[in-house]
Amino acid sequence: MLLLCLAAGAIALLPLVLVLFYLLSEGLKAWSPAFLVSPPGGGVTTKGGGALNAIVGTLEMTGLGLAIAAPLGLAVALYVAEYREGRMAVVVRTAVDLVAGIPSIVIGLFVYSIVVVTMGHFSGYAGAIALSLIMLPIIARTSEEMFKIVPRQLREGTMALAMPRWRAIVSVYIPTVATGIVTGIVLAVSRAIGETAPLLFTALGSSFVVTDMNRPMSALPLYMFQNALNIGFPAAVQRAWAAALTLVAIVLLFNVLGRWLASRMLLKGR
Amino acid sequence: MIRLQPQAATLPDQPAVGHTVRSMDAAIDVQHLNAYYGTKQVVRDVTFVARQRAVTAIIGPSGSGKSTVLRSLNRMLEVVPSARIEGKILFHGIDIYGRDIDPAAVRRTIGMVFQQPNPFPTMSIYDNVVAAARFNGLVKGRAQSDELLERCLRQAALWDEVKDSLGKSGASLSGGQQQRLCIARALAVNPEAILMDEPCSALDPIATLQIEQLARDLAQTYAIVIVTHNMQQAARASDDTVFMSVDEQRAGYVVETGPTSQIFTNPTNKTTEDYITGRFG
Repeated sequence: MLLLCLAAGAIALLPLVLVLFYLLSEGLKAWSPAFLVSPPGGGVTTKGGGALNAIVGTLEMTGLGLAIAAPLGLAVALYVAEYREGRMAVVVRTAVDLVAGIPSIVIGLFVYSIVVVTMGHFSGYAGAIALSLIMLPIIARTSEEMFKIVPRQLREGTMALAMPRWRAIVSVYIPTVATGIVTGIVLAVSRAIGETAPLLFTALGSSFVVTDMNRPMSALPLYMFQNALNIGFPAAVQRAWAAALTLVAIVLLFNVLGRWLASRMLLKGR
Repeated sequence: MIRLQPQAATLPDQPAVGHTVRSMDAAIDVQHLNAYYGTKQVVRDVTFVARQRAVTAIIGPSGSGKSTVLRSLNRMLEVVPSARIEGKILFHGIDIYGRDIDPAAVRRTIGMVFQQPNPFPTMSIYDNVVAAARFNGLVKGRAQSDELLERCLRQAALWDEVKDSLGKSGASLSGGQQQRLCIARALAVNPEAILMDEPCSALDPIATLQIEQLARDLAQTYAIVIVTHNMQQAARASDDTVFMSVDEQRAGYVVETGPTSQIFTNPTNKTTEDYITGRFG
């Protein structure tokens, strides 16, 4: 039995190890510090050129998406978990679950028809909105679960002291479960940052380094997608690998940052 | 916000309650209290008085409804969605379940300390004490907060132990210190009475004695009601005792109330005597 479990564990671990191994061995071929800070260059057949356009686009769109999704997701979680009076909470919660289940390409199409068509052009804003819709349900659900595990003793403590509910939420409940909420946010960002489909008809992609979010933008997944399409042209495929490595590195960095931030929040006041 | 204080003009006419003459120093006056969780009755016809500046102990075996009674005294019971009570609870003559009484005002006036010490783990010792007072607008600015902090921690006999580590987390203290911190925290919102729900059941004997002494000291100023199933504790720390029991037919009910000295030396009821001498419970 133990052997069986060990074997299962090893099998589960295998893809992860293989992916990381491939990522490093392929990605490092084209990767260099210059790759991070150079605009695209080099053709399908020639090496060189960086992914600065994609990195800037990814950071801007994910950042803005997070800035939309985090407060909204937290507010939804608070509504469902803390102010659950009435039927409305059940409706909101079901709606959030449904959004979580929508294929990301459909979210892309939705934002296309609402934002891109209305504005008349593709843009980083549209991409950010699409990404925020990917993050929102994850943040809302994980935060809701966190509020549910606030110990009853603490809730009673705030009530016995006649703390207004919103004060109890802000000063006691949220700090108590901050680590969990931040973990949910990190999870949501990790998921959204790698999404390609919702960006295809929203941000579209661009080979220029664009900081104006009102224009079409590239992003690392789009960059990978567009380069990897050139099968048979090693220079382009290697750029895709390098972009993949960069993406994973950013996710990792964000994870570490999130954890550090959460531990800081916990230590505050000690 | 309604401050629960007796005001001659608003005092409701007190109905004459048949079986006892109610002394003027009654702080909490419980009349024919019934409590239910859903359809299950857990407390039946409980009547007693907790005097001002005295410690009233509620003792009895597990399941006799002690904590339920205690929690109905500051409207903490209604936090449980299925809980419901009947009967009257007067605080200095004012019906705390009256129509225009704000439950938050009741809880501010009648503070509570719980079985498990529950300091706010992400707050410093300082903030644990003063946060609620600040949120309720009772203190403003650093100087007032500092003053309140020291007064409450001194009253809770904790000042000397923590005065040099006020920035540390409330959770870093020992169990007994945490419980005294919770008492200080309850004192900070200016209550007139304090309810203690088995405050020592998670503490070691030395910390227990400290809390008992503290209850005695606080009774110089406040009305204290303490639930315990430690009989020695009731005997040591209380002035009056309410003995509750439960049997198959009846939900928790009061067997006998009276001065602690009398209940423990000369109980009028056989059940009380059996319980106190350790024959059941």
